[in-house]
Amino acid sequence: MIQMNGYATDAETPLDALTTYITPNDLFFVRHHWNPAYQDTRRWALTVDGEVERPLRLTLADLRRFRPASATCILQCAGNGRGNYNPVVPGVQWKWGAVGNARWTGVRVKDILDQAGMKGTARHLHTFGADKPPVKTPPFHRSVEIEKILQDGIVAYEMNGEPLMPLHGAPARLVVPGWSGNHWMKWLERISPQLEAQKGFYMETGYRYPNQPGEPGVPVKPEDTSPVTSLFVKSNITEAPAAGKVGAALTIRGFAFSGAPDIAKVEVTDDGGETWQPATLDPQHDPFAWRLWSFRYQPKTAGKAVLAARATDSNGTVQPKVAAWNPSGYLYNAWHSVEIPVTA
Amino acid sequence: MRKAGRALLILLAAAALTLPAASSGASKKKPKKSSEKVARADFDTKLPVLGTKLAEFPPGDGKAIADSACLACHSTDMVRQQRLNEKQWTANVNKMVGWGAEVPENRRAALIAYLVKNFGPDNDRFEAVVTRPVGK
Repeated sequence: MIQMNGYATDAETPLDALTTYITPNDLFFVRHHWNPAYQDTRRWALTVDGEVERPLRLTLADLRRFRPASATCILQCAGNGRGNYNPVVPGVQWKWGAVGNARWTGVRVKDILDQAGMKGTARHLHTFGADKPPVKTPPFHRSVEIEKILQDGIVAYEMNGEPLMPLHGAPARLVVPGWSGNHWMKWLERISPQLEAQKGFYMETGYRYPNQPGEPGVPVKPEDTSPVTSLFVKSNITEAPAAGKVGAALTIRGFAFSGAPDIAKVEVTDDGGETWQPATLDPQHDPFAWRLWSFRYQPKTAGKAVLAARATDSNGTVQPKVAAWNPSGYLYNAWHSVEIPVTA
Repeated sequence: MRKAGRALLILLAAAALTLPAASSGASKKKPKKSSEKVARADFDTKLPVLGTKLAEFPPGDGKAIADSACLACHSTDMVRQQRLNEKQWTANVNKMVGWGAEVPENRRAALIAYLVKNFGPDNDRFEAVVTRPVGK
């Protein structure tokens, strides 16, 4: 792992370790705001209150008595790729690997809220984790629009068939397929349907994205921003040979994902985007999971082959050549390219 | 099969730092030289555990206040990877003071100067620690 912060722990996965459909738990990126409060699973319980007829207190055993639900989907930190923006912005300087694809198992949020008798007045699900901020740092409290969480949300207690690791939010975390990691509350201890969105720094100042693209380096007023939610279409190259030879086919591989449920195509260019050739998509897929892809390429001339990939999602959105600069460095998704020396 | 796949992944991870540098983005670092493949067991045990290898701030006027103001909440990694100008560092120091970082008023300018000098826009000295997989 690539340690981006010794404590509170942040670590990204080396890009060329992200070559399988399922990212192994021990290679999955780690993102903490501050030192976590690890929970005693035997004493832990999830509180459900707010706009509900029947407030609940659910132990892990209670959660396991619900009908299990699973989703295989990617989790990406909103700031993945921040370190690639120019002008630079402060924050963890993630490059590529604050992303992974896992199978999350738990209980649909809708099933929990149905049992609690959520009132029709609720519009936002407020979410609270057990990690406590140091000194006067504001708490990491969030909310998710109720439509999204009812449709896709899971309170997950397993990751890839194993109990959630403490680093990943044990005993239970929120899973919000297609949305950035800031919605995936770890060490979840309370969910609360409410009329209004959550207040506080991490809703009103942090994790916000400009409503309209601005000039690089120019600040954006808070009223001209909205919370970061759906991920941007993106592909990365994870495997490429160290060298090639004219006339000898070589293969590059990668993954592609989006906030849309699927990827329609991945293409590769060797001429800076003048022409594109289709990559082969791996058939394995689930909604909001990534697609692995591969591309066979035969160098025609000696020198340096520069291969760039771009993805198009199931909504028809095409990955841009340049990521839209934004003051907090979120959702970097420029074309990703590799240089391969080619000999005659 | 999963374990076998993962072992391969680890070998790839060991060679991870040898991939050609991406030409897009702002990375200016040169590709590292190829390293020999490392057996999984060696890879797991020879690399440090995540969060255990912690670098110090570089020496200089301002180090002491950086130590006392910053390290209560996060490691030096968080600071050493930044490449911020004076305006950005000033805004961040003010933000951190608001969040409880203890910076005496008469040392705030010295702290900002130290941060700009060491972690300014041309800072290219940060090398992230490569650790073993988590939970090992």
